[in-house]
Amino acid sequence: MRHNFRYLILAVFLSGSALAAEADADKIVKSAASKTSSTNKDWSWQPVAAPELPAIQQKKWARSPIDAFVLTKLEEKGIKPSAEASRAAFIRRATLDAWGLIPTTAEVNAFVNDKSPDAYEKLVDRLLASPKYGERQARKWLDLARYADSSGFQGDQTRPNMWRYRDYVINSFNEDKPYDRFIKEQLAGDEIYPGDNSALVATGFLRGFPDNSNSRDLVQRKYQITTDITDTVGTAILGTTFECARCHNHKSDKISQKDYFALQAFFANVSAVDNIPAPKGPQEVQFEKAQAKWQEATREIREKKKAIVDAYRSEAIAYLFERYSADTQEALRKVYVPDSQWTARDRWINHRYGDYQTDDILANFFRDNASKDAKDYKPEYAEKYAEYKKLDDELKKFDKIKPAKGSNTISAMTELGYADAPPTHVLFTGAFDHPLDEVQPAFPAALTSEKPQIVPTAFSSGRRTALANWIASPQNPLTARVFVNRVWDQYFGSGIVRTVSDFGRAGDKPNNPELLEYLASNFVKQGWSVKKLHKEILLSSVYRQSSDYREDAYKADPENKLLAVFPRKRLDAEQIRDSLLVASGKLEDKVGGPSVMPPVPSNLNAGRFWEVSKDTSDWNRRSLYIFTRRSVPYPLLDTFDMANAQQVHSKRDVTTTPLQALTLFNSDVIFGWSQALAGKVISEAGASESAQVDKLFQVLFARNPDKEEKAALIAFLGSQEKLIKEKIKDSEGKLALAVPVGLKDTQQLDPVRASAFVDLVHTVANSNEFSYRF
Amino acid sequence: MSNNSRRDFLFKTSYGVGGLALSGLMPGGGLFTTFANAASLVDPLSPKGTHFPAKVKSVIWLHMDGAPSTLELFDYKPDLIKLAGQQIPDSFLNGLKAGIRGGDGKLFATDRTWKQHGESGAWFSDLLPNLAKHADKLAFVKSSVTIGATHDISILKLNTGDLNPGRPSLGAWIQYALGSANPDLPAYVVLYNDKKEPTGGSINWSSGFLPAVYQGTAFRPGPSPILHLDRPELIAAAQQQGSLDLLTRLNRVRGAHYPEDTELQARIRSYELAARMEVSAPEAVDLTKETDATKALYGLDEDITKSYGQTLLRARRLVERGVRFIQVVSGPQDIAGDSRNWDGHNDIEENHRTHSKVVDKPIAGLLADLESRGLLDSTLIVWTSEFGRTSYGQSGTGRDHNPWGYTQWLAGGGIKAGTTFGQTDEVGLQAVGKTMDTYDLHATVLQLMGLDHLKTTFLHNGRSERPTVVYGEVIKELLA
Repeated sequence: MRHNFRYLILAVFLSGSALAAEADADKIVKSAASKTSSTNKDWSWQPVAAPELPAIQQKKWARSPIDAFVLTKLEEKGIKPSAEASRAAFIRRATLDAWGLIPTTAEVNAFVNDKSPDAYEKLVDRLLASPKYGERQARKWLDLARYADSSGFQGDQTRPNMWRYRDYVINSFNEDKPYDRFIKEQLAGDEIYPGDNSALVATGFLRGFPDNSNSRDLVQRKYQITTDITDTVGTAILGTTFECARCHNHKSDKISQKDYFALQAFFANVSAVDNIPAPKGPQEVQFEKAQAKWQEATREIREKKKAIVDAYRSEAIAYLFERYSADTQEALRKVYVPDSQWTARDRWINHRYGDYQTDDILANFFRDNASKDAKDYKPEYAEKYAEYKKLDDELKKFDKIKPAKGSNTISAMTELGYADAPPTHVLFTGAFDHPLDEVQPAFPAALTSEKPQIVPTAFSSGRRTALANWIASPQNPLTARVFVNRVWDQYFGSGIVRTVSDFGRAGDKPNNPELLEYLASNFVKQGWSVKKLHKEILLSSVYRQSSDYREDAYKADPENKLLAVFPRKRLDAEQIRDSLLVASGKLEDKVGGPSVMPPVPSNLNAGRFWEVSKDTSDWNRRSLYIFTRRSVPYPLLDTFDMANAQQVHSKRDVTTTPLQALTLFNSDVIFGWSQALAGKVISEAGASESAQVDKLFQVLFARNPDKEEKAALIAFLGSQEKLIKEKIKDSEGKLALAVPVGLKDTQQLDPVRASAFVDLVHTVANSNEFSYRF
Repeated sequence: MSNNSRRDFLFKTSYGVGGLALSGLMPGGGLFTTFANAASLVDPLSPKGTHFPAKVKSVIWLHMDGAPSTLELFDYKPDLIKLAGQQIPDSFLNGLKAGIRGGDGKLFATDRTWKQHGESGAWFSDLLPNLAKHADKLAFVKSSVTIGATHDISILKLNTGDLNPGRPSLGAWIQYALGSANPDLPAYVVLYNDKKEPTGGSINWSSGFLPAVYQGTAFRPGPSPILHLDRPELIAAAQQQGSLDLLTRLNRVRGAHYPEDTELQARIRSYELAARMEVSAPEAVDLTKETDATKALYGLDEDITKSYGQTLLRARRLVERGVRFIQVVSGPQDIAGDSRNWDGHNDIEENHRTHSKVVDKPIAGLLADLESRGLLDSTLIVWTSEFGRTSYGQSGTGRDHNPWGYTQWLAGGGIKAGTTFGQTDEVGLQAVGKTMDTYDLHATVLQLMGLDHLKTTFLHNGRSERPTVVYGEVIKELLA
């Protein structure tokens, strides 16, 4: 009876070749893009123009145009740039920036001792060629994509397929996918690249919206989803606060409420489709094997459960139906009439409803009608409910053989097989139930005079293709500027436009407009190559400067806006955790795959929302593979200001709190890594304590301790040893000691002194220098 | 750009060599960078001034999770009792177009005894005998309204002012605007009396777009309330102190290379604070030094009230220690074989009998205890829920969700005690006359904390955001 769009749509994807003709739409739009109006616009809405190189005095200092643009501002103020950072400091900095990890001592030594003239270039090429580069850059993008592995809200259900989108992002950076293509795939991969699975996964960018499955007003829900998507695209890609115009005309930018809803209209027809079969790789095969085992073991129970509901299915559906808002009901009633009478909104609502109507939900019908006074009361319902619950409890016992992670399906945002889209209205004060005039998809009138060229595909409205082509066009004044500014922000701690997600009038003006124009125009000229952009920055003289304090520079430019000194920066949450894993030699170096759940403190009380991965190697994966549960952020990372996955996270905050200190100092997990690091250091440095502390500093800071530090460290070993001995005395010798782990040869080791060394290692790992990159 | 938004703009974006240098002198979260005076410590939680003198120092936010039926507790409706069993007349349903439907449409009443209490003559049902003794301390809002049909979005709105996740919770705004009055404890603490975290989780005490430092810190049940509060298992206190001394020394040696770097200096201080918190946090929740009489006041001597009573006694101890916002989420109970919160779709009789019993004595105890310690005048207690419940029944034994008219109450400093604001219609379904939405409640709470909700701002993505979004009005009728 029910229309099942999920299968309908699938058929369309599998016959992607039929859609080849639609690709021509791409060309039409491109030619239209050349028409840009230039009347009275703000700087960020003007076309990007390549600036001329400035005349500079210290020509030798400038390795790239970037340097010239920075240097000219310094020379205007009479400030000298800083000297070069040492090679060791440079490789620690560059590896943290490009990979999100500290380098190994071997990597440091190789670079420091590389006498060839292109040593820096070789290093940068090596960094950019590693999959670790994609992992680090992906994390930055996932912040913008409000990436999560769960739906959010109270139910916060697991979304078992989202990791494919995360891997898509990693791979895209590693392949150096042109940024314009990257954007098109994420906005309209299903329409523009039919038959391309990875472009379908890319629409996970849209699919990531927070959602509450038990919403009873699907008209309102649709509006909230469309709002999330529109605002995410506007903020993340266009760096514009379009959402300010949802309830009223924009107060600072020339964006009307009509403009805003005209943007929403591009997404009016998108639906989440979560059961597209994934190509079978080892992960999928393993998942299906485990799933088949569970299905076999539970077949009987599940059939019994189903039989209970089956006997009353139509009553239960009718009861559930009653719980929805009037508008929702009107759409749901369409299941009884022919297709021809369905509107696009009916299709959207019924598709969405279909995903929710599980037997477990329907079974509540029995519970709710078990009392004599209930409207739909029947005497047997109490018993049916008890029976159903008992079976359900029985079924739960098999959860341990259920595949804990992974999937054999793809989640995408696409359309339901029809070209017509539900109408979009301007909404009075942004309230979903107060529609005013209908609007058609359009680009903001004050930003461009270009009109979208919308060509429906065989299965969709074609609206998103038109939007994607406009956004990813070289003529779009915002797309390239916003992205290069984000990359600059990543390296220098502050964007050229400091309000990285607001290029409007309420935002900051660029503090070096020519530099921004150069980066944006060159980015497009180089075919939107993200790696080339990174490479140019990494090899620039600006980036190579020392971060040492200079009184003259500080006095002339206390905020360091002009970058006469390289700005030091607190590491991101992931950089801290991942670098500790590198230091202790425990990093599990696998790229991609389903998200993992490392242990959490026992008093977190997260229950079923955090079921620790059984495979202990999962515990030491890089942080971006840790499951993002919207309602239970992973505590270790959360404390260090990780991204909030509820909406676009434009920039990581840097806060300094006692809770962070408690985490790094007291976490058993981190203390365990310090024990492993102590073992590694002793193994590599041998018995000399002086050599051990040298080694430790090399691992963590890529330098040796100075005299004062070394004296303090060695003295600490003595005093700490004494404290530990007293502790042993107090405990009458029954006390266990925390000693270095992973040692090959423990015979030479004095356990008390070794325990003091663990404390030393743990303390050094807690020091400011470790949590910063200088 | 106004002065305020300029200041918080600087706050939001000033990450440079100077780091996040703040001065704590500007009221209401108005923060500015003082690069010329960068020797001041970076401390986002340093105490800040108010917009006008505050009436209270702390808020205890008692969230009744699951939404009680206030028709069973405070909102006495003789007509509802009279008409019970009849179809609800259409006239009462006017204007209910959005939101939930369903239910059997028949007016529903449980078997209650109603009495007026105190000089104010406030109505209480037989379910809250202890609280009724404090009738004259309370200011009722009988015309509460909100948006939403399901718990999660309405709980979000109750705490953050939005139906979608992403905005800061009220406590986060207060922590941002006022900083901390006690550096050894977080200024915004979440308590709950369940075995697991409240549903919806941390988004309900999130800092949203404010820096994460302003989010609520969940104090878990048990002796060690904060995650990572305990030293690693094999490390003795003296040993950790030895490590801490070395840490400070190393940080200072290296810090000498960056004399103007307040962020690095703040990090040194954060370890000293952490060491103090290791002692102060367990002490704050340690009830062993409380007298038996105090414990009995909160119902710690009875199984049914013990868990919630302990939570509220903790809340009082946190008030004494200067914590500014204490958000207490009531936990579920075993009802008809299921673990249920106040969400009485079925068996509302048993549900509310149990839940009332769980909270009645502890809340009454809290009010009495605060009063006897002279703390009631400087503390605001808010009894709140995500919505109320319908006058018509559902499933024959329960009520559905009602965002159109329900009761909440406030007590404590600055409150006009013994009054009632607003009312519902004759059957208690919809508010009539002046209403109080969640935004108005937030504005009123902020007002009592000395903050103008219109001037408590933070610049985020081009918008000068405030706790009440674009709404909110202080309910003056509630203020003394």
